[in-house]
Amino acid sequence: VIELYAIARHPGPTLPGLASLRAVPFDGLAVVCGPAVEAEEITEAALWRHEEIVEALMDDRDLLPVRYGTRVADEAEAARAFAAQRDQLRAALERVSGAVELSLRVRAQDPGSEPDLSSLRPLARDAIEQAGRDEGELRRCAYLVERGRVDAFRAAVAGLQQSHPDLGFLLTGPWPPYSFSGP
Amino acid sequence: MSSAIAEREIALVDLVDRLLAGGVVIAGDITLSVADVDLVYVSLRALISSVSSAEEQGALPRMGDAL
Repeated sequence: VIELYAIARHPGPTLPGLASLRAVPFDGLAVVCGPAVEAEEITEAALWRHEEIVEALMDDRDLLPVRYGTRVADEAEAARAFAAQRDQLRAALERVSGAVELSLRVRAQDPGSEPDLSSLRPLARDAIEQAGRDEGELRRCAYLVERGRVDAFRAAVAGLQQSHPDLGFLLTGPWPPYSFSGP
Repeated sequence: MSSAIAEREIALVDLVDRLLAGGVVIAGDITLSVADVDLVYVSLRALISSVSSAEEQGALPRMGDAL
């Protein structure tokens, strides 16, 4: 049983030397996979371990992360699993090319606050801005940002934080483009 | 709470959001997906709400803490 980590172009840069990674080619793309940890418990540490592998891949290539917990019997099955959606995958890979994902959550003690995030949009290639999911959270957003603009984006969020001391801006990343990998 | 731990806990919410709900998915019939994702998701959600309430009660984490 193998665990699937990401879809990338093929051929690509040499794989990082961790987790016995292998690239299984199909139609000009490759699915990067490695032996699955049998009966792995999904703990915080397991999630970070997975994330670290995908981030190591992301260092020197464009990729589409595969959802956590996706396992197939063998490499032939891995290639077959994605062959049917190769056109969508290729298009999605183009859309995220050269970009990373940043996560922004905006929190407030006063639930009536209305954060104005419009200054961030021009810095991102794509954005998903959603309402908060729990009390005190006003917005939960994902931005697809070109690698070269990450610092500018961070500075813009720092500026928002400075001018809105009543709000908490929680910016994390760069993440693999988990929120922008769909069709 | 050291700021490194605070960062990691804040990022955990975002990590769970992404790994368990984002990314490319394949047709279910050949996936041997990890069996109790739902269960674990629930327990991670519990962990996350405790992080969230810490965010609410403690000083609101600020930009800079979270990076």
